[in-house]
Formats: sequence, structure tokens, C-alpha cells
Amino acid sequence: MHVGISQIESESGKKSIIHSLDGRIKLIITLCIIIYAVYTTKIPVLWVMELYLLVLILVSKVSFSYALKRVLLILPFGGFIALFQPFIKPGVVLYTLPLDITITYEGTIFGILLLSRLIVCLTAVVLLSSVTPIQEIVNSGRRMGFPRELALILSLTIRYLFMFYDELERIRNAQKTRCFDIWNKKTSYMWRLRQIAYTIVMLFLRSYEQGETVYFSMLSRGYSGESDMYQEKKKISLNDYLFIVLTLILILSIELIRHFYFI
Amino acid sequence: MHIPDGFIPLWQAVIYYIIAIIVGFYSIRWARTSLDERKVPLLAVLAAGIFAIQAMNIPIPWGTSGHMVGAALVAIVIGSPFAGFLVLTTVLIIQALFFGDGGVTALGINIFNMAIISSWVGFYGFKWLKPVISEVPAVFVAAWASIFLAAIACAIELSLAGTFPLTLGLYFMGLYHAVIGMVGEGLITTIAFLAIKGVRPDLISGEEVGSHG
Repeated sequence: MHVGISQIESESGKKSIIHSLDGRIKLIITLCIIIYAVYTTKIPVLWVMELYLLVLILVSKVSFSYALKRVLLILPFGGFIALFQPFIKPGVVLYTLPLDITITYEGTIFGILLLSRLIVCLTAVVLLSSVTPIQEIVNSGRRMGFPRELALILSLTIRYLFMFYDELERIRNAQKTRCFDIWNKKTSYMWRLRQIAYTIVMLFLRSYEQGETVYFSMLSRGYSGESDMYQEKKKISLNDYLFIVLTLILILSIELIRHFYFI
Repeated sequence: MHIPDGFIPLWQAVIYYIIAIIVGFYSIRWARTSLDERKVPLLAVLAAGIFAIQAMNIPIPWGTSGHMVGAALVAIVIGSPFAGFLVLTTVLIIQALFFGDGGVTALGINIFNMAIISSWVGFYGFKWLKPVISEVPAVFVAAWASIFLAAIACAIELSLAGTFPLTLGLYFMGLYHAVIGMVGEGLITTIAFLAIKGVRPDLISGEEVGSHG
């Protein structure tokens, strides 16, 4: 979330063949790629998938550095666990470092596998969110059979997400102009913590009260428990079919090639 | 604590998904019968607020920074673990699908840890401890435990998945979150709880919503 939330939204507003695909198709393709990446245990397979995703990014005209930055920023927690693997997985010892720390072959392979999987899955999500506005993904989900309540909650949350992000930015700027810094040792630690807690309370109450207002105004416009989201009818075009078939053929052929040559 | 894709085998991921869907089913039912389903929009907007709250950096001694999860706060203030579940699940779905924070196949497991365990531990921890150690300490302990136990669960799950050994995982995840949880979740939730009680005492029900109907 260090890449501005509005930048993600502005990337998704660009125009390209990939952007113009139906939201459902993009969602299905992303899910297929992620599930296949989690399923496979072969590293070269993952690299081919990554290559395919990179080609898609190129075709979609999404800024490369932006996509890379996003993937790198999310990497740490998972990357940390992957980097640890060579030292903790038992197996054939490759090197022995001082303090009896060993690097094993199995661990190294497993670490690379985890890292490759992670990168493929992250690239897929980054691509999806860069070529599809958030709201459209939720609408597509609803069309594909997401429960009504869930789709409603998600779409409302997304509407207010940007608002509260702006709110947070404003509060941060206001604090900055008053030289507030969470690491400033000149103020007591508890005092700083209290200021942050108050900011959190501010956001909590504002979102709660906004929620009440939204609820009442929806109610006065005839909202009831049975209300559903408006769905624009959209037809799946030839391009959409072409694209999904292409991806499935790719996954299938990778799997077949792997089956006949690798094992 | 967001587990990414590829760290949990598919068949295990499916199990957590099933648990999440079952709890989700009951949460929606709770919202329908106890909260008045129409109030669902309120929780949705609150989720947007929690999303922003999670982006706030909280200084932890020794130079690291953490952030709040907020499940305990929502569950305690609204007065039901189901509210915590609905809000946190919404946040987690958006994080997984749009920001890559936590995996898509690992969404079930992340919901299990941060929406289910955190909300229930936070709420019932508060409810059971309140008569014993009075209100404010109860908020602190419950909020801390909500993070600590979720982290422990996370370590156990990663070891079940064969991704990270149990003792090392418990040590890293447990210790790290025991400290982060004390400040990031425990203290902040307590201060926030007191502040909300001061400004909008009507919000804090203290009673379990819908426990009598």
C-alpha cells in the first residue's frame, strides 16, 4: 500500500486490449494462473508463467516500473520465509557456515520454488488490479455468483476506501506540518502512542458515523434487506473467449510438456 | 501475518476456505436476525475505515513499526465477534484481490487467523475477563491475545503446511507478535476504547448484540 491507492486506480483506467476484456474473464484467468502456480512444484513451469504475465503487462501498457515496484513492496514477509528455507530444511548439505549453520540442496530448491510461486502470484494480482477498476472486479464477482450480501459490502467498502485514504493522508499532512513524528524521541513514547490512537479513533468514528449516514440515506431511498446491486448487462465478446482459451491452452500445454519431459 | 500464495498446499487451503465460508454463512445470518440486515452498509463503511487504520504505522520500541488489525476493537465496540468477522473479511478480500497483501488461495487461512480467531478471542476474552479484572485491563489483554493467538495459529499452520518448522515459527511469530501485539493492538485498542467511550458512549453496547433474540 506504499504505492498510492489512487495510482493503482489510474493505471486501471488506461486503454488496451487487456483493459477492455470483460471483468469476469480477467478474474477467472487470474484465479486459474494463481491456482496452477500454487499447484505446480516445478520451478521452470513457474518461470514460463511469469514470462507470460510479463508479456501481458507489456501488451496492457501498464507501466513496468510501477508493476515491479508493487511486486517488490509486497514481497518481504513471504520472501523472508523463502530465504530461510536453505538453512532449515534437512537434506544434502551444500555448505557449512560457522556456528553449525548448514545450507542444504533441498532447502535451496524449496526456497526458490516458494519465491518463484510468490512472484508469479503477486504479478498476477498486480496485473489484475492494474487493468481492472476495483469496482468492476466486484461487479464481475457478483455476476459469477458471489453472495449478494458479500458483493454489496465489498462494493460499498470500495466506494469509501478512497475517501478514508484521503482522510488519512490529510491527517498525516496536518501532523507533519506540526512536526509530529512517530520516532521523535523528544516527546514521550506514550504521548506519541496516544496521538496515533486518537487518529485511529478519529478514523473509526468517522467511518462509523459515515456508515450510519449512508445507511439512513439508503433507507430513505427505499433500500431494504432484499436490495441487490444494479448489474449492467454485458456480453462476453469474441476477444474474451479468445483470451481465456489462449491462457487455458498455455497452462494445459505447459502441464503436458512437463508431464512428458520432466518426469 | 498475511500468508501469501504458495505457502499452503491447495488441499489445506480448501479446508480453511470451507471453515471461512461456514462462519461467513452464520455471520450473514447473524446480521439478518440480530443486527437488522439493512445495517450491513454500516459495517461496510466501517470496513473502509479499518482499512485506512491498518495503514497507520505504530512505533514499536527497538525501531520497528507495526500496525493494528482492529478485529478486537470492532468486535468489542459493536458487541459481537460476527461484526469483527464481517469487517475484517471484507478488508482481507480487498487486500488479497487488489493489493496482493495475503494470497488469493491463502485468503481462507488469513480469514481464519485474522477475522475468526482475532474477533472471537478479542470479544470473548473481553467478555470473560471483564468481571475478573475490570473493564480496561480486559480490553488490553483481550486485544493483545487476539493478535498473539492468531500469530501462534499462523505458525502452527505454516508448520502443518511443511513450509516452516514449528519451534522456529512459534519462536519468531510468537515473540514478535507478543511484543507488537502489546503495543500495536493492546495499548492502541485500550486508548481507542476509552476515547470512544468518552465521545460516543452510546456506541459501546457492552452486551452481546442479539444474545436475546
